[in-house]
Amino acid sequence: MTLLVAVLRRAVAGLVVLWAAATAAYLALLAAPGDTVDSIIGDGADTPLIRSQIVREWHLDRPAVVQYLDYLWRAAHGDLGRSYLLQRPVRDVIGEQVWPTLKLALCSALLGVLLALILAVLTRRPWARRVSSTVELVLVSTPPFLIGIVLLSVFSFRLGAFPVSGDRGFAALVLPAVTLALPIAGLLTQVLRDGLDRALEEPFAVTARARGLRESAVLVRHALRHALLPAVTLTGWLFGILLGGAVIIEQVFGRPGLGQVTLSAVTSKDMPVVLAVVVLSAAVYVLLNTAADLANLLVDPRLRRS
Amino acid sequence: MRRSRLRAAALAAVLFLLAACSSTAGVSGADAGAPVSGGSLTWAVETEPITFNPHQYAQAKARLLVWNSFEALLTHDDKGGYLPWLATGYQVAAGGKTYTFKLRTDVTFSDGTRFDAAAVKANIDQILAPGYAPTVAAVQLKNLASVEVVDPATVAFHLTKPDVLLLDFLSSPQGAQVSPKSLKAATNLKAGGPELAGTGPFILDRYTAGQEVHFRRNPAYNWAPANAGHTGPAYLDEITYRFLKESSVRVGALTSGQVQVIEGVPATDQAQITANSGLTLSKGLNSGSAYSYYFNTTHAPFDDVRVRQAFRDALDVDTVLTAVYRGTATRAWSVVGPTSPFYDKSLEGTYGGNAQRANQELDAAGWAQRDAEGYRTRNGQRLTVRLVQSAPFVRDRRDILAQTIQAAVKQSAGIDLKVSVVDQGTATKALTDNQYEVFDNSRADTDAGAALNLLLYSTGAINRTGVKDAALDRLLDAGQATGDAAKRQAAYREIQRRVVGEQALVLPLYAPNDQIAAAKTVGGLSFEPTAGVPNDAYNVWVRK
Repeated sequence: MTLLVAVLRRAVAGLVVLWAAATAAYLALLAAPGDTVDSIIGDGADTPLIRSQIVREWHLDRPAVVQYLDYLWRAAHGDLGRSYLLQRPVRDVIGEQVWPTLKLALCSALLGVLLALILAVLTRRPWARRVSSTVELVLVSTPPFLIGIVLLSVFSFRLGAFPVSGDRGFAALVLPAVTLALPIAGLLTQVLRDGLDRALEEPFAVTARARGLRESAVLVRHALRHALLPAVTLTGWLFGILLGGAVIIEQVFGRPGLGQVTLSAVTSKDMPVVLAVVVLSAAVYVLLNTAADLANLLVDPRLRRS
Repeated sequence: MRRSRLRAAALAAVLFLLAACSSTAGVSGADAGAPVSGGSLTWAVETEPITFNPHQYAQAKARLLVWNSFEALLTHDDKGGYLPWLATGYQVAAGGKTYTFKLRTDVTFSDGTRFDAAAVKANIDQILAPGYAPTVAAVQLKNLASVEVVDPATVAFHLTKPDVLLLDFLSSPQGAQVSPKSLKAATNLKAGGPELAGTGPFILDRYTAGQEVHFRRNPAYNWAPANAGHTGPAYLDEITYRFLKESSVRVGALTSGQVQVIEGVPATDQAQITANSGLTLSKGLNSGSAYSYYFNTTHAPFDDVRVRQAFRDALDVDTVLTAVYRGTATRAWSVVGPTSPFYDKSLEGTYGGNAQRANQELDAAGWAQRDAEGYRTRNGQRLTVRLVQSAPFVRDRRDILAQTIQAAVKQSAGIDLKVSVVDQGTATKALTDNQYEVFDNSRADTDAGAALNLLLYSTGAINRTGVKDAALDRLLDAGQATGDAAKRQAAYREIQRRVVGEQALVLPLYAPNDQIAAAKTVGGLSFEPTAGVPNDAYNVWVRK
């Protein structure tokens, strides 16, 4: 029963977040200079006749409040409208781009976390730490754009090991995933290493050692658990990196995906698509944070008791 | 009645000779050997079209894709005239108010529908449907009264006033013929794609948004225009256009052999192509209007012709172009592009690059004082002019060019050019509120007259100079009313003499161009006559 209430509370909170995100995005676009007709016309011919036809086509003559309520009403029924720019239903535009981005995001997140775990645990010796943290710092501070171009010119243009572009099989996924994973690994490693250092100084580490546990077992079985907590909290940040990174990575690698859709929708003020992307991102964010909370329960038994 | 009208029109009649042949300017093929049929090609392009429906066409960069699967009634030759395509010829009657086209009778759309006069009418009806293509209806077809199906092989366009630009429209992507059946059946009509059937040498069969578009050969194709390079079906079995937005990535994909052709090679990357013996690089100058700065004459300081002249004299265009484009740009001297038959060559060298004269002109116009930062002032007001660029439409490093010009005019004449690169909404707002003094633009219209109508007519849709000159309007009307090449040329020469010469409304900067880089194994690549953009893939082959 309490579980059901908890789940319900979560669901309602999630819906409120979605509504707030959609409304905030709507208001932001409304407040931006120039109206919708301006952005549909772009730098093309502009006459009263053209304007009136655009207004009629998209029903822009209604008050903003009515348009907003109409949007909410239709969105609640699963109709996200049509893209001003691409002239297709938003559901199709977004729908066909979700999987390529998701694939990229999952692979890079997995790779990034794996790399971070391995690096944080293996580079405990002072010299290895020094080398590793220098590399991490470089990776965190290098724009993904540059990493992508460098990886491309070495592994694709020079060595021909991977194809340059598109969503065509696993080989085409390797370079973009690595590009996106490296900065993630960089930051996560630093956080994990810091957590490990702290945990190893705690009294329980001494106790474990006194029980005769080997140093590696102390590290992996006890200290790592503690170190994971702050890392798990970074999930929201991770999501931001993945989405922001996708915009650039997809552009550089000529990959289809949400990043490209978002970029063109924002620059052309394609309201229906922007709103859909915002709502989708908010939904994923809510899901991820819930997952992070659950993961914390798994990692930290103290949380389970309370 | 109809017969007599046609006969009366015989004076103005222009009848095509099918033999009229103007060869396509080839840019590759020396190493590719004789044309061979078969094979496939991958071509990396810079721009992913926002639509595949030719009626909705708005991006010159998408033109090379349109003609693969769609065709028009006429096509441009390389001398400013027209060649038969889906029409075998046309006659002009009623003093230029009726154009009657004879159509080919052996053409079918790729969905099996026959191409005939009813299909042409269905296309025009669709374009005029409310909300479908408002720009085309308001600009290209503004003088259209009705379309008449005379018989299955004859269609007549009746106009409200003489308008030779109808021919330009009927050779443009917006005037391309789409199967009426698919126009009715398409679920996403305005987006186009595999749903829309055309008559072209290729069939668009696969589109992956954000990645690529794929065409396969239309085996039934046998109606290429006389300047297409060969007859019968296309050489290639299939062609894939991959969308690679980053120029360095396109070049890398080409040098590593992952694609065979790329389009869009900026100045900074051209050395990589020319240094590679397996690759070729070629450029085509675009048609339409040159990339120019238009002076807003509705308020100070550019309401004074002396200040406009001073701005042009303050700038050494060649120097800034060399600095920004490393010698790859072609300087423009007129608002009309240098490849147009209307281009007025006599304007070359008549203005600009004279700082001393610029300073005298500004002194004379009252901008004689200088403030602490070295800018000229008049009555305590600084000589500031604002250029607002819309970020989504900045290309060819035009933002960098603007900064270079900014530095140049400050140094030579103390003019404060304020450049801001902003979002589309802010840019449009600045234009509507008249908060700008300089407007930059280039148009890729195949008939320069169409561009000038938009830019210079007192009610023109892109008239940003604010010029309202009855004499200029009359000249523009004259250029549009007649099909007589000599008369049109005279009208447009006079316009250029006034606008560029006398009134200094515009500062022409460079003639935009397109670049193709390709492996030497690829033959038959060319630029489209008149338009100057990369041609479609009909005549392209790959050495086996």
